Amino acid sequence: MISFSQVSKRYPGGHEALSDVNLQIDKGELIFLTGHSGAGKSTFLKLIAAIERPSHGVVSVSGQNVGRLSRRAVPYLRRNIGLVFQDHKLLFDRNAIENVVLPLDIAGVLRRESMKRARAVLDKVGLLAREKADPVSLSGGEQQRLCIARALVARPALLLADEPTGNLDAGYAADIMAMFRDFHQVGTTLVIATHDDRALAALGGRILHFDHGRVTEAQP
Amino acid sequence: MNSWLRHQKHALTAALRRLAGQPVSTLLTALAMGVALSLPAGLYLMLGNLSRLAGDLPAQPEISVYLADDASAAQKAALAERLKQADVERARFIARDEALAALSAAQGLDDVAADLPDNPLPDAWVVRPRDASRGALIHLHDELARQPGVAETQLDSAWAERLQSLLALGRTGVWLLAALFAVALAAISGNAIRAQVLARRDEILVSRLIGATDRYVRRPFLYLGAVQGLLGGLAAAAVLAIAGAALRGPIEHLATLYGSAWRLHPPAAPEILALFAFTTLFGWLGAWISVGRTLRRVEAGG
Repeated sequence: MISFSQVSKRYPGGHEALSDVNLQIDKGELIFLTGHSGAGKSTFLKLIAAIERPSHGVVSVSGQNVGRLSRRAVPYLRRNIGLVFQDHKLLFDRNAIENVVLPLDIAGVLRRESMKRARAVLDKVGLLAREKADPVSLSGGEQQRLCIARALVARPALLLADEPTGNLDAGYAADIMAMFRDFHQVGTTLVIATHDDRALAALGGRILHFDHGRVTEAQP
Repeated sequence: MNSWLRHQKHALTAALRRLAGQPVSTLLTALAMGVALSLPAGLYLMLGNLSRLAGDLPAQPEISVYLADDASAAQKAALAERLKQADVERARFIARDEALAALSAAQGLDDVAADLPDNPLPDAWVVRPRDASRGALIHLHDELARQPGVAETQLDSAWAERLQSLLALGRTGVWLLAALFAVALAAISGNAIRAQVLARRDEILVSRLIGATDRYVRRPFLYLGAVQGLLGGLAAAAVLAIAGAALRGPIEHLATLYGSAWRLHPPAAPEILALFAFTTLFGWLGAWISVGRTLRRVEAGG
């Protein structure tokens, strides 16, 4: 589903975030990215979602060369990818369910249908009772679950999560990881950047270890 | 409803919500547009009223038609019949004796008139055409000159021509002003939209991350510009209505002093609609120019 071939990414200013990465991720896999911060995990995820483009090499997602996508084609790639951010990136000018519905609005789904789907996914992350709540009034864990609900509402085949439990205490983090395990079991491909070693041990899955832009396979 | 229409509706409601969310700045922007536009629009209305006034003035152009001495009774009757048609507002017959009497009485020329062996003056018609425009005047003049039994015609049009060219100059001025203020309108709109785009930075960046196209992001701002322009047009109409109400009394008083029943004429419905269409278009245009530039900046900065 995802392949990196001789991929390097050098940011303006000379910092090389990734160097000569070669790897393959199959459909339905559960992947963890580990390593200290600044080792290239975020860059790896950004290259997949075409938020950044590689300086070298080819990143391909479902057969598409993501680095060469035109500006007009990028939105359609992103609609098939769910993104979960460490800082949630929720919109605070609207309530919880309006945040979740946003990807469906963008895709032009009928309002009634999208509200139904938003409620279903809010139910799945345990926030159905808070659908009218202001995101500010939610706890950190609830905000992260809301962000996950938004990432999943369009039923993407691929979910990318950058430190989804980074700001959460252990109890919330375990909840969220359990949620990811459920999605994995229904066939979603998940790529999760984390430094939460407890999660790795609990969930299994393949581990890619990042160190100064180089990637090695690690055994759990 | 297909998805294109759904997107339009979504963008329009988003735009209206954003405008309603900032009533003060919306109002101020509309007011700035309205005041700017009321100048060319007001001049346009003034010119319209002036041309109407020119049509009502007693010093309207007239055509003098002098009959030949040997014109037959039938020819005279045919000419009188012709002058009853719709393009003639009024025609006054001056018989030759009457003309001579008027001449001797008015000009103090009775000695001269008394010395004349014959009355040298012809019978004449003084014709006031209904349409005072230059083309219509010349057309009517030429036609009357060709009538049998007519010896000579004279078009007293210098005054009318001067007024018409003055009004034409005024109209050109109005269009020039309108063009300038259209640019100002687009600039005001563009500036307002730029502020809106910057205020919606987070929403734009998040939407881009979850698959919004350029058009999806741009659309609400374009509607915003168009609606803001329409509000500007409404504000201009309000400014003109207030100015008209304030001026009506004094102007009609002045007209009465000159013995004229002339009244201030409000703009016609198509003119008002044209104003709204014009401001909506330029509000949209300003938004279109501004939104692309600002979006690129927001995305580069994010």
